[in-house]
Amino acid sequence: MCQPESLKMPITEKTEKYDESIKEKALVLKDLIKIYKGSSDPALSGLDISVNYGEIFGLLGPNGAGKTTAISIMSTLLRPTSGSVIICGIDAVKQPNRIKKLIGLVPQDIALYANLTVRENLRYFGRICGLKGQVLKDRIAECLEMVGLEKTADQRIFKFSGGMKRRANLAAGILHKPRILFLDEPTVGIDAQSRNMILEKLSLLKETGTTMIYTTHYMGEAEQLCACVAIIDEGHIVAEGSPKQLINRPPGHAGLKDLFLALTGKRLRD
Amino acid sequence: MYKTGATVIKELLLVSRDRAGMLVLFLMPALLVLVITLVQENIMKTMGDKSTRILLVDKDGKSLGQTVEKRLLESGLVEIVKKIDGKKVDEKEAVEAVIDGNFQLCIIIPEGITKSVKAKARQVVTKSLSVDDTPAGKEIQRHDIAVYFDPTVLGGFRSAILNSLKLVTVSIEIDEKMKILSELLPEHINMTIRKEMGSFVPDNLIKDIPGIKLDFNSDPLLKVKENQASRDAFEKTPTSVQQNVPAWALFGIFFIVVPMAGGLIKERHDETLLRLLTMPVSYITLITGKVVAYVFVCLIQFGFILLIGKFLLPLLGSPMLKMGSDPIAVIIIAISAILAATGYGILLGTVARTYEQASMFGPISIVIAAALGGIMVPVYAMPKIMQEISVLSPLAWGLDAFLDIFVRGGNITTVLQEVFLLLSFFIITMLLSSVYFFRRTRNGF
Repeated sequence: MCQPESLKMPITEKTEKYDESIKEKALVLKDLIKIYKGSSDPALSGLDISVNYGEIFGLLGPNGAGKTTAISIMSTLLRPTSGSVIICGIDAVKQPNRIKKLIGLVPQDIALYANLTVRENLRYFGRICGLKGQVLKDRIAECLEMVGLEKTADQRIFKFSGGMKRRANLAAGILHKPRILFLDEPTVGIDAQSRNMILEKLSLLKETGTTMIYTTHYMGEAEQLCACVAIIDEGHIVAEGSPKQLINRPPGHAGLKDLFLALTGKRLRD
Repeated sequence: MYKTGATVIKELLLVSRDRAGMLVLFLMPALLVLVITLVQENIMKTMGDKSTRILLVDKDGKSLGQTVEKRLLESGLVEIVKKIDGKKVDEKEAVEAVIDGNFQLCIIIPEGITKSVKAKARQVVTKSLSVDDTPAGKEIQRHDIAVYFDPTVLGGFRSAILNSLKLVTVSIEIDEKMKILSELLPEHINMTIRKEMGSFVPDNLIKDIPGIKLDFNSDPLLKVKENQASRDAFEKTPTSVQQNVPAWALFGIFFIVVPMAGGLIKERHDETLLRLLTMPVSYITLITGKVVAYVFVCLIQFGFILLIGKFLLPLLGSPMLKMGSDPIAVIIIAISAILAATGYGILLGTVARTYEQASMFGPISIVIAAALGGIMVPVYAMPKIMQEISVLSPLAWGLDAFLDIFVRGGNITTVLQEVFLLLSFFIITMLLSSVYFFRRTRNGF
C-alpha cells in the first residue's frame, strides 16, 4: 500500500495497520523472512508490502536485493522461513492451491515451448488453468489480439523476434484472467515498439481490475506504470511510495533512477 | 484427467517436432537392430550356428564324391554349391572364391579318388585275410580330400567341418572295406577249407557257403540326440533375430531418457516449469502426462522394431522374428520396461543440473546397463562376476523376460518376477525424483 512518503516504518506499526485492513487488500506481505538453506544471510529480512486491488505495484531493487525471492514466495513457488503472505484474503503459505487459481506469472525468461506455436502454447496453459471448449478458444483469440500476435498465432515460438516472444510470454500469463499478475522484468531486451505495446496493454489490464506486481530495472517504466513502488535492498524495503512522492523526497531527485542510485549505491551487484 | 490429457498432447507435439529426439527414438534402434542382427547372422555362420554355403569341386565325378556330398548334406551343417553363376568351378576358381570371402571354405575331391579308395580297401582287406606275410602287391597311392578355409572362419566351426569330413571319410572307408570283405570272405573261407581238408570236402558243400553282407553304417548302434531346454517345442537355438530384436528394442526404449531428461531440464531452465508450478496443477499431474506420452511413443517405437524383425529382416536374409504364444505378456513386459525407462529419464532430468550432464551421463549409463544386461554380449558368455552384476541391470530383466516368451516358450507367469522388478524400478526412480524435486524447489530453483 502506498503510504505518504514512507521510508521503512517500524515493523510493529505496519503490522497493526495490515491486520485492520487485510481483507481489503489484494496482497499483504507481513514480516516476510526467507533464509536459504546453507546461507547465513537472509534473502528477505522482514519484508512488508501491501497492495490494493487494481493497483500496479513496482518492486525495484538491484541484483540480489530479493525481488525474485519475493515474487517466488508470493506466487507460491517458495515457502518463506517465516512471515505471512495473504492474497485476496487467503493465506498463500497455508493454501497455495487456492492461490494458484487467482494468480498469473510472467517470468523473466520466455517461459514457453519454443517448438510449439503461440496458439498451442496458449491452448496448453489454458487447459492447465482449467479453461475448456469455446471459453478457451475465445480467451486465446482475445489474448492473441491483445498482444498483437493474431496473425502469427500458428508460427512456432523459436521463429519469433525477441519482442514477439515477450508479448507471447505476457499472453500466457494473462490467459486465465488472473486477479493478481506477477511480472518479473517483462520487457527485458526488447525493441521500443514492443515495450511500448506491453506497457500499454498492462495499463489496459489495470483498468479491468487486475492487480500487478511488477519488477523492473527500467525506472522509467516504473514511473510510467506504477501507482506505488517499493525499492528493496538486502531483503528489506528502503523506500516505498508513489513514484512522485519518492522523487520529491528531500533533497529532491531528478527521477526514480537518481533516487534508486542514492538509496542502493553505485557499487556493482553481480 | 483433463490436465493430464493436455500434458500428454503437449508432450506428443513436442516429441513429434524434435527431429534429433525422433532419430534417437526410432532411427537409432532400427539401425542397431538391422546392423547388429545381420552382422551377428554372419558371425553365427562363421561360428557354425547357421547352415553355411560351401563350394564342392568334385574332380573325380564318381561314387565317392557323391557319397561325400550326400553325407555332408545329411549333417545339416552346410549347403553345398558346385556352380558359380551357372558355371561349374574348378579348384583354382573355388580357392579364389574363398580368398575373396564369398565362401567360408571349399572342398576338393581329387581325380581318381574313388578308384584308389576301392583299390586300397581291397589291398588292406586282402592283406588282413592272408595268413602269411607276403606283400599285398604294389603300394597304391593315396588321394586326399583337400579343404581350403577362409582365414576368418573361427576355430570351432573349422573343427566342426573337419570332424564332419573325417566322419564321412571314415564311414566311406568302413563301407568300402566291408564291401570288399563281404566279397572276399566267402572265397577266403572256401580256400581255407579246401586247403585244410583237401579232398575230404564234397564240392557241393563249398559251393553252398553263403555270401556275407556286411553293412555297418545303415543301422548305428548308438546315436546322440540334441534337445533344447525350453518349455515349448522350439526346435532350434534362438536366432540372432530373436536375441537382437528384443535386445535392441529395449536399448532404444531406454534411450528415451535422453529426450525426456532433456525436456525436463529445458522446462526448468526456460522457466516453463516455473510458470506451470504457479498454475492450478500438481507436479504429479505434469509428470503423469509426460510418462503417458512417452509410454505411447515407446510402444510405437517397440512395435516398429518388432515389425522390422518380422518383415524387414527376413527380406535381408535373416530368419523371421518369432514372438512366442503370449502376446499379452509381450505387451506387459514392454510397458513395464518403458515405465522403468521413463522413471529413469525423469530421475535423470530432475537430478542433472544441465542438459550437458544429462546428455553425457544418460547414454553412457544406458550403454553400461545394456552391456551388463546382455544386450551386446549374452549374459552366459560373461565372466562369473559380471554375470552376478548383470542381475542389477533393468535391461537384463527386460531382455530375460522377452527371451522367456520369445525363445523359452514362457508365458505371463514365467515373467512375473522380471515385470515386478521393472515396475519396482519405475516406482523407486519416481519416488527418488519426487523427493529430490521437492527438496530442490523448497530451496529455490
